[in-house]
Amino acid sequence: MAIIHDDVGRRRFLSQAVMGFGMVFGMGALGLRFLQFLLPNGAPRQPETVLIGSESRIPLGEAVPMDLGGQKILVLRTDEGVAAFSRRCTDLGCLVSWNRERGQFICPCHQGTFDKTGLNVSGPPPRPLDRLDIVKRGDQLYVNVKSA
Amino acid sequence: MAVETVKTENSDVGTGKTWVDYIQKDLPEHLEWWPYTLGAIPLTLFGILVTTGLLLTFYYVPASDQAYESVDRITHEIYLGWFVRGLHKTSVDLMILFLLFHVIRVFMTRAYQSGGELKWVSGSIVLFVTLAMGFTGYSLVYDNVSYWGMTVVTNMVGTLPIIGRPLLHLLRGGEEVSGVTLLRLYDLHTKLLPVLLGGLALGHVVTVRLLGFTTVPGSREYHQFYPEHTMKMGAVAVGLLLFMVDLVMIFPPVLGPPANLQEVASDVSPPWYFSAPFMWISLLPGPMALWSLMAGAGLFVLYPFVDRVLAERGWPMTFINGAVAATAVGAMVVLMYLDLQG
Ligand code: FES
Repeated sequence: MAIIHDDVGRRRFLSQAVMGFGMVFGMGALGLRFLQFLLPNGAPRQPETVLIGSESRIPLGEAVPMDLGGQKILVLRTDEGVAAFSRRCTDLGCLVSWNRERGQFICPCHQGTFDKTGLNVSGPPPRPLDRLDIVKRGDQLYVNVKSA
Repeated sequence: MAVETVKTENSDVGTGKTWVDYIQKDLPEHLEWWPYTLGAIPLTLFGILVTTGLLLTFYYVPASDQAYESVDRITHEIYLGWFVRGLHKTSVDLMILFLLFHVIRVFMTRAYQSGGELKWVSGSIVLFVTLAMGFTGYSLVYDNVSYWGMTVVTNMVGTLPIIGRPLLHLLRGGEEVSGVTLLRLYDLHTKLLPVLLGGLALGHVVTVRLLGFTTVPGSREYHQFYPEHTMKMGAVAVGLLLFMVDLVMIFPPVLGPPANLQEVASDVSPPWYFSAPFMWISLLPGPMALWSLMAGAGLFVLYPFVDRVLAERGWPMTFINGAVAATAVGAMVVLMYLDLQG
């Protein structure tokens, strides 16, 4: 192995290394900023409680679709009470619908099905539907958006 | 058509030839056989796609409240709009079909061996970018199927580990599929991807010319690239164009109902070239489907290296390739059939 005794060679190597490093660093920082430019900076949504109306609005055994500021939910009323679920299928995000005859939530995209407690029973969905808390004040129902 | 291959002709890299030499270089005589012009067809189709695509951009509006109407106007009001759009659509279908034929031909003849790896890898990237073009293209229509297609595919990207979420935000331009998403896919479809695809296709052709064609035993070099082979490719291209004009007139392009954000389309089946993976996703639980698709794609790109390792251990690769190709095509057909039934 040859050792470089040549001072000029070493100096040149060092200066090139420093320059190269600086350039890579600068380009990298620039690229990162450009990437940041493309990435949206959405502020996390604040949890809020939304009034969805009186319980009698929802017929028994029926699920009513609602759109609460962009979040699509289904409010289901059964003998056990009222429950709210996000309509977003846990597989790949299609919208589930309530099928009254089968008593199940069905996702049309890849035939995912969920039972009336939101539990995934068949098809590709890996986990139950997201559930939203329901608060009852008198006869009025409120749902906790973003509680899921 | 299992042709036994032995080696690739000697590489010409760095022998100081001019580009005229490359154009006039003679080809092995087996290239006289028509299937060896299969690679020229996707190239022709790419030309048609660029031309018709350019025309479409004059009327298409990439905004979520106008996209569907503008496609509707192109299809039903503008002079020959239906024809230009139909030609654009048919070209994609045929381009992917012929890329698949081309891949099968190369795979069966094992033309990717010893020195041909770069040809295979560059070609498989061309295939994937073409599929990306297909996806971004049918998203732009913004009918109900394409809206939910966008949702499903971007969500699928989001399930990748680590890079998944940032990539999803990058594609969607926000938490949800929106007008920003449409604009991003439009930019990908009309700017970034076509330039990439053009460059890659050119690179693929240049690589093939530089590295040379695979030789077949007993195949001497006398078939001229110019004018003989070029004429043949030209004939194929013209015949193809005529065939496509007929196809478009018999099957004019249609338009589904507009995107409905409150209800998923009743039939969310994607175009035929995505229907096999689509069915696969339906059959396998969650992440498994994506992982198996990614593993399959990775194996596909690296196949020449797998082949080399196995061949060194004395595996009968010609036979194995035949079996693999038959299984893959068979599985695709079965999955597409299931999708049609479902
Ligand atoms: S998105 Fe619901 S089953 Fe796939």
